[in-house]
Amino acid sequence: MNTILLQVVNPNVNVTSILPEVIVAVAGTLVMIYDCFAPKQKIVTGAISLVGLILATIALFALWSGSYDFANAWNGMVAFDNLRVSFTLVMLFVSAMTILISTVWTEREDVPIGEYHSLLLFATVGMMFMASGNDMVILFLGLETLSLSTYVMAGLRKSDLKSNESALKYFILGSFASAFLLYGMALIYGATASTNITEIAAKIGTANFPALLLAGGAMLLIGFGFKIATVPFHVWTPDVYEGAPTPVTAFMAAGPKAAGFASFLRVFVLGFPVVAGATATNYLHGSWVSALALMAMLTMIVGNVAAILQNNVKRMLAYSSIAHAGYALVGFVGAGVAKTSEARDGAINAVAFYLLTYAVTNLGAFAVVTLLGEKNDRRTEFEDYNGIGFKAPVLSFTLSLFMLSFLGLPLTAGFIGKILVFGPAIQSGEPLLTVMVVVAVICTAISAYYYLRLIVVMFFKERLTEWTEPKIPITLATVLIITVIGVFGLGLFSDRVLSIFKTSPTATKAQLK
Amino acid sequence: MNGFNLMDYAPILVMFIVAFGFAASQVVVTQLIGPKKKTATKLMPYECGKDPVGSARDRFSIKFYNVAVVFLLFDIEVLFMVPFAVAFKALFKENVTYGTIAFVEIIVFIATLVIGLIYAWKKGTFDWNVQARAEAKAEAKALKEKKLQRVEELKRGEIKIAA
Repeated sequence: MNTILLQVVNPNVNVTSILPEVIVAVAGTLVMIYDCFAPKQKIVTGAISLVGLILATIALFALWSGSYDFANAWNGMVAFDNLRVSFTLVMLFVSAMTILISTVWTEREDVPIGEYHSLLLFATVGMMFMASGNDMVILFLGLETLSLSTYVMAGLRKSDLKSNESALKYFILGSFASAFLLYGMALIYGATASTNITEIAAKIGTANFPALLLAGGAMLLIGFGFKIATVPFHVWTPDVYEGAPTPVTAFMAAGPKAAGFASFLRVFVLGFPVVAGATATNYLHGSWVSALALMAMLTMIVGNVAAILQNNVKRMLAYSSIAHAGYALVGFVGAGVAKTSEARDGAINAVAFYLLTYAVTNLGAFAVVTLLGEKNDRRTEFEDYNGIGFKAPVLSFTLSLFMLSFLGLPLTAGFIGKILVFGPAIQSGEPLLTVMVVVAVICTAISAYYYLRLIVVMFFKERLTEWTEPKIPITLATVLIITVIGVFGLGLFSDRVLSIFKTSPTATKAQLK
Repeated sequence: MNGFNLMDYAPILVMFIVAFGFAASQVVVTQLIGPKKKTATKLMPYECGKDPVGSARDRFSIKFYNVAVVFLLFDIEVLFMVPFAVAFKALFKENVTYGTIAFVEIIVFIATLVIGLIYAWKKGTFDWNVQARAEAKAEAKALKEKKLQRVEELKRGEIKIAA
């Protein structure tokens, strides 16, 4: 009996390999404990959270540059590759910026600040595990940790009806999508007898019931498609983003989306590759690539066209986030059709880079929207931005810069990001993918309307009511400086960031094979 | 995959069929052979033998939910500890390192739960009479002030008398 036990339990406990995640989780717990003993504090939990996130970033870099052998860490449940590191960096950045942005809001709205910070950190842990998990079970656990925290965060403004509606909708639809995801994972397990993605990729050529693979793949597509808000699974996005508190919206549009892409990429690009000679598997690969290409086109078209019709800036940014998920999907499909593993890793890095540029721009824009929103986010309509251009030059010029970066104007981050994600898809030369890139470019042109509209409203419309410029607190000023530098820095020196993304950790190659 | 045989799972199917069949048969048999005498008492909703009072959809305090959630947490804790306890002895005997790792892990797990307990405690989940206590405190404070006032009055009175 004992021998059987040892075959099952062969622990390869390697805490070092998940050190960044552990640090953030411990910081979250500390925040929770501190909050319950000192409920009246204002800045301590925020400081603890920031320190935790910075330490996690340092740990990540240390792990990355050191030579460790993590190929079998946690029996292969934790990955150690470019995908994990690049996406984890994006998430840590998003969380740190969200904490800085939300200082304005927590003071204004009297929210339970300690709870908010610990939820944010736990959500970050979930996101990090979504990037680092190399096993369906870990991915799902990460996803649920993230989702449960964000459901609560969306409803943190307890007395506000819209916030409640947002939380409830997010919860019900999110659970529904999780169910799809879980069922898909179960079917894939049924076909390959494994939940480990490396093993799935190895066994997929000789799968047990090929039909299960297809059904499971479709279920996973729906589940992940919901989490990253692609059309036709996007209907929850505008309501949830509009109702949630503005800093939380900023977080949801940048962080969980990146996490969703990380898991999505890992499962589909690394888990469902082309296997020479296996018809069913190649059918699966071909069908998910074309399904995603169609979804990407729909997402870009619907996101951009619907954004034109919005009169609320938060709703406009919500549809814009849908559209940007579409652009990132273009890179995703490019990674799917890549012929060599270098090309594939390059395309994955391009998606991570694109999401980083989107996160930088998005957080900057939402920082300004938060500041201008006033209590209960009352002032988020386009009319509220009338003529503030020369009355609040700092805010309106930075917001204009972010709009231009969303649009993808040269010199800004958005431009380089778009070029990088469109590249792999157009190089593949397949007709469907070429059409997809053409649609993407046309949609970018369409998006000029609503991004420029905000600039026009700010600078060229008369303001009829009295309005005084809000004071920019130091935390928000920090966010604005970092994001403005980020927009130009990523736009001009993208090579440097990409070279960081590209240098693979030592154990990567062994694990990917 | 090798060694997979659907027939291995046949007992589970049989169990489902038996379970469903039993439930269905009970309903059908009582419908068929049970006597049907409808009296006013029998048609009443059943409430532990008492006459039903009011709607079943009463509002009740949110505190019950909090306690239910905490209960659930600790319930699951025990659920996780049982397999650990079962496997631990054999594991420790086989390889001390694995045993130690398992022990440390379960300690970390329990410590995390204790932190949750402390949090719930400090947030007042188990404090069911915060309001009553606050009222009592206010009353005590008022009484004390009154007493002090009286003492001061007395003092002043004494001073007056002395003068």
